[in-house]
Amino acid sequence: MTKWRHLILSLIGASGLALSTSASLAQQPQDPGDQPGLVADDSFQADPEWQKQMVYYRTTEPPGTIIISTAERHLYLVQPGGRAMRYGIGVGRDGFQWQGLLNITKKAEWPDWTPPPEMIQRQPYLPRFMAGGPGNPLGARAMYLGTTVYRIHGTNQPWTIGTKISSGCFRLVNADVSDLYDRVPVGTKVVVRQKPEL
Amino acid sequence: MMRTFRGGLLIGLAIAVLVAAAAVTYELYDTRTLKRTVRRGEVYCGVNKGLPGFSIPDDKGNWTGFDVDFCRAVAAAIFDDPSKAKFVPLDANERFKELQSRKVDILSRNSTWDMSREQNFDLYFPAVAYYDGQGFMVPRSRNVDSALSLDNSKVCVQAATTTELNLADYFRANNMKYEEVKFPQLDQVLKAYDEGKCDTFTADVSQLYALRLNLSKPNDQVILPDVISKEPLAPVVRQRDDDWMMIVKWTLYAMVNAEELGVTSKNIDEALKSKKPDVMRLVGNEGSYGEDLGLSKDWAVRIIRHVGNYGEVYDRNVGEESKLHIPRGMNQLWNAGGIMYAPPIR
Repeated sequence: MTKWRHLILSLIGASGLALSTSASLAQQPQDPGDQPGLVADDSFQADPEWQKQMVYYRTTEPPGTIIISTAERHLYLVQPGGRAMRYGIGVGRDGFQWQGLLNITKKAEWPDWTPPPEMIQRQPYLPRFMAGGPGNPLGARAMYLGTTVYRIHGTNQPWTIGTKISSGCFRLVNADVSDLYDRVPVGTKVVVRQKPEL
Repeated sequence: MMRTFRGGLLIGLAIAVLVAAAAVTYELYDTRTLKRTVRRGEVYCGVNKGLPGFSIPDDKGNWTGFDVDFCRAVAAAIFDDPSKAKFVPLDANERFKELQSRKVDILSRNSTWDMSREQNFDLYFPAVAYYDGQGFMVPRSRNVDSALSLDNSKVCVQAATTTELNLADYFRANNMKYEEVKFPQLDQVLKAYDEGKCDTFTADVSQLYALRLNLSKPNDQVILPDVISKEPLAPVVRQRDDDWMMIVKWTLYAMVNAEELGVTSKNIDEALKSKKPDVMRLVGNEGSYGEDLGLSKDWAVRIIRHVGNYGEVYDRNVGEESKLHIPRGMNQLWNAGGIMYAPPIR
């Protein structure tokens, strides 16, 4: 079962990569999605839409499940009683979005960043390795999704919350990702939903 | 003698025929809202005089809002032109009477659907356009995230309203104590809350978001996710004109179905080329759903192109792109956390 999921996920991912490789040739060399070294301004105030808040949320998933709506750019942590804690997120660019069911397999504070080979190929100016810290694009916390290269992580660019800018990861502002990190254990179920296709 | 009797009979008969003819004409007239609307070239919509997010005119008389856009959607379905809607501001007291007396074709005026309104006024609420209900606002600094944590609160509330009754029921049902701080006018209630005279402020959720904008520090206030009463807001039409009722009902459902299928005002031309059966039926490439409503094949395309799907209309007027920033909540689609659900076009 899990193997199948991974296969489907990687297939979706791969087609996204194939799409993007051809697209990236025409792109500007500097990718606004990642600015390693930039230190986030923590006083940045996001629109109310992207601020953490408790909302009404009806679902058949049990409390503790994470549901990510790519189209809405919201991450929901399901709570008991028909509600959820909602966080604003930044999601993958078109062609870098995926959907499926995964688990959190690992958690890390101020994670180091090793951009995967696919990213290096697309964005050769990126560092091969960057130690964790305030200038790291992964921000304050990271939660690893299954065996994929995707993560739920923080950011050093809080103004990118609410946009489609990443390579498939989900980014939250550092305060929110730390809050989420403290609420979810390894093994948490993560459902990623995409908008319907025509 | 005989002559007079016959004469009387004839006159009586003539009167009876005239009365019957008048009654039939009246009935027929009442079931021909679409025909009248088409002849007139405009849909007449009864709206609120000024409610931010729902219906409000600017200084040039241009109307905007969720209720206004719904009327434009009906106009778009009929005329392929959303500007063929005329807005008639109506008071809360006169609204149902004015609809009954045919001053307007639709009431799209934040009206709560309940049984007595349908019965007493001979009206029909075709479908829920917006699930509203009573909620609570609290200062962010209190770190409260549930209405059940409001035990022993001072509650700001408007006096002599259903809101006050719902408040009492809710606290009693949950074995919580509270102290009312009440005023006859809503702005007095808001002022008291702003001055810190209460721990929480209760009103309908849509109202709380609108009123929050008038507080001295809107961002220091949060609205709790709990909804403690049912205020289903719906458009209203007259009973016995089923053809018209069907148009109003399926205009709303087309917008909701469009959102569920991912059809928006931006990708509508792409949707016209879709091979997905659900999308093909929505855009009129399969079946004769539009014709059966007495409209054109592309009725739903007209709505979506000119006005947008349900989510677009929500976001623009009361959601993320508006000043109100009301989360979708119950008004999110049924498969994305809410209860907004449209029967399929099939």
